[in-house]
Amino acid sequence: MRIFELAVRNFKETYRDPLALGFLLGFPLVFMLLFGAIFSSEDAASFSIGVIDDDNTPLSQAFTDEALAGISVLEVIDYNDAAIALDDLTLGELNAYIVIPPGFGEQVSQNWQGKEADIILRMTYDESDIMLTEQLISMMNTVTRSFAKIEIPVTIDANPIHIETEITYVDFMGPGIIVFGILILIPTSARIMVRDKEKGFLARLLTTPTRPAEFILGYSLCLVIIAIAQIIIFMIGAWALGMDIVGSVWLAFLVFFLTGLCSIGIGMVVASLSNSENQAEPLCWLFSMPLAMLSGCWFSIEMLPSYLRIIANAFPYAHTIGASRAVLIRGVGLEALGGDLLFLAGWAVIVFAIGIILFRRSMRS
Amino acid sequence: MSTDAIQIENLTRIFGNLVAVDGIDLSIRQGELFALLGPNGAGKTTTIKMLCCLLKPTGGTASVGGYDINRQSYNIKEIIGVSPQETTLSERLNAREHLNLFGRIHGVDPAELKARSDMLLETMGLAERAKDQVRKYSGGMMRRLSIIIALVHDPEVLFLDEPTLGLDPQARRVIWEYIARFKGKKTILLTTHYLEEADYLSDRVGIMDEGKIVALGTSFELKTSMLDTHTIIVYAWNLTQKVVEAMESNYAGVKVTDGTMEITDKQLDFKEVVDRLHSAGAVIRSAHIKEPTLDDVFIQITGKELRE
Repeated sequence: MRIFELAVRNFKETYRDPLALGFLLGFPLVFMLLFGAIFSSEDAASFSIGVIDDDNTPLSQAFTDEALAGISVLEVIDYNDAAIALDDLTLGELNAYIVIPPGFGEQVSQNWQGKEADIILRMTYDESDIMLTEQLISMMNTVTRSFAKIEIPVTIDANPIHIETEITYVDFMGPGIIVFGILILIPTSARIMVRDKEKGFLARLLTTPTRPAEFILGYSLCLVIIAIAQIIIFMIGAWALGMDIVGSVWLAFLVFFLTGLCSIGIGMVVASLSNSENQAEPLCWLFSMPLAMLSGCWFSIEMLPSYLRIIANAFPYAHTIGASRAVLIRGVGLEALGGDLLFLAGWAVIVFAIGIILFRRSMRS
Repeated sequence: MSTDAIQIENLTRIFGNLVAVDGIDLSIRQGELFALLGPNGAGKTTTIKMLCCLLKPTGGTASVGGYDINRQSYNIKEIIGVSPQETTLSERLNAREHLNLFGRIHGVDPAELKARSDMLLETMGLAERAKDQVRKYSGGMMRRLSIIIALVHDPEVLFLDEPTLGLDPQARRVIWEYIARFKGKKTILLTTHYLEEADYLSDRVGIMDEGKIVALGTSFELKTSMLDTHTIIVYAWNLTQKVVEAMESNYAGVKVTDGTMEITDKQLDFKEVVDRLHSAGAVIRSAHIKEPTLDDVFIQITGKELRE
């Protein structure tokens, strides 16, 4: 098996180089620690939100008093009149206010009984503060969904509602940070092949009957091992920093792993297009930086103009963030993620095929 | 199909404005050691790269072991061994791991690979350091390893691109002796810009300059047939004006410096020259025919020095 022989060689060349190994494993560690230092402080972000309860049922009250109040970064203020809340929002005393419309309690209890019913919350917020509103919408969405899906007896009065999910800043940012780490696999992957090109070792291997696919997969197999190690470090790091893992760890890992394959594939494409590190480096940044912006790992892609959102959705990373948040925060299962997983896997297959075609072209100039 | 191991027809490669290889024709017999001799930039490496299917020819074609370089590159890669000009090794692998990697890529049987690796490491004097990472090797050791990597799968045709470039004379001689062992057993195409190397090793030499093969033949043929003048060098006492005049009246070129006389003409008879000197009164200490070198041939053909 030439693929295996090449992978073993690449792996030896990597793990015997303390500097390279230190970078590959140390980078995710440092990255997570830095991330932890930045976001772990309690007062990193807190929002004041107003609540106008027009439903006024035990359920809507429980939602306000238990679910919303349970989120540590939220300060919940009750209002009777939306006009006053709006004034406070304008004055900057509130970040947002939500109106719980009549029928909310009914909708929630229907959900609890297994019937699907749309739950409507009206949220008014200050558009100018993009970061805050972005997170607020996400939080509201998450907390409402978990509230509505909790299975408890309908006799609310007897049993106080217990909200398990506690949304923190780490929960929101964690998947994004991991995806950014996976994006850095692009330059890492490209470098491993380009270094062989630059030193002429690849040219020497090219005088053997090794096929293009064997080269690409030989390099990738070594990188897959690196990617697995990095993802594990990222996930443990994020978990240690307080990121909740509500859903299946394995499913979250699968999502990140497929994304890692896409990064490795892009790295192979870049490496096939360049002859030296000097060429590969800028090409890598050209790929990974815009992709980071479009992925939603720094800010959600919902705020992008629609044409950029289309571009963003054409690449794996936005899907990864959506899917991994769904698993980690909301505990969504495999059946709900099928589309995203298929997209990621398909993307990986296509990008590897492109890599192999480009490599074949570069074999003989 | 011919018995030629390598057959090159009108092979051309153009890089932009530069004609690196300019329509060369060449046949190399099975088991022949052929040296392409020329200065840097003559097109030697480009030729080898085309034969190894690393570069596409702009025009013309060639076959290696009967396979066409344009259409049957993988067949060719199965039967060739290549030691590239730059010592290209994988820094953090040791010598044996290199041999294992290339042997396994070529699908060599494991037992055979082990035996052959042992033999190759032993003959190249690398057995003791076989477990050291190659980044700790000297230049000579890297070269030797580079050559045996090309041999580990027992190829039919061996390409050695400047196998001794940058080595000291002693290390170079070790490699020459090693390459010489394969003479007659494998077809070897070697490039060099060292005259002694081509002279010492090759069955035939092709002199390459500016993309063309400008002279072709055995080293002896080139030296004798290409040169139309001969020189005798005489060390003698008593090289008086009378002696010089006597010689000048008989030979086309006579040059005297510090008791040394150089006599040059199209035809020179050693005994006749010595007799003439004697009778003119010179006392000869020693006299010899100056051996023509490939350098002379090269200068004569191209008008340039071979060495940079």
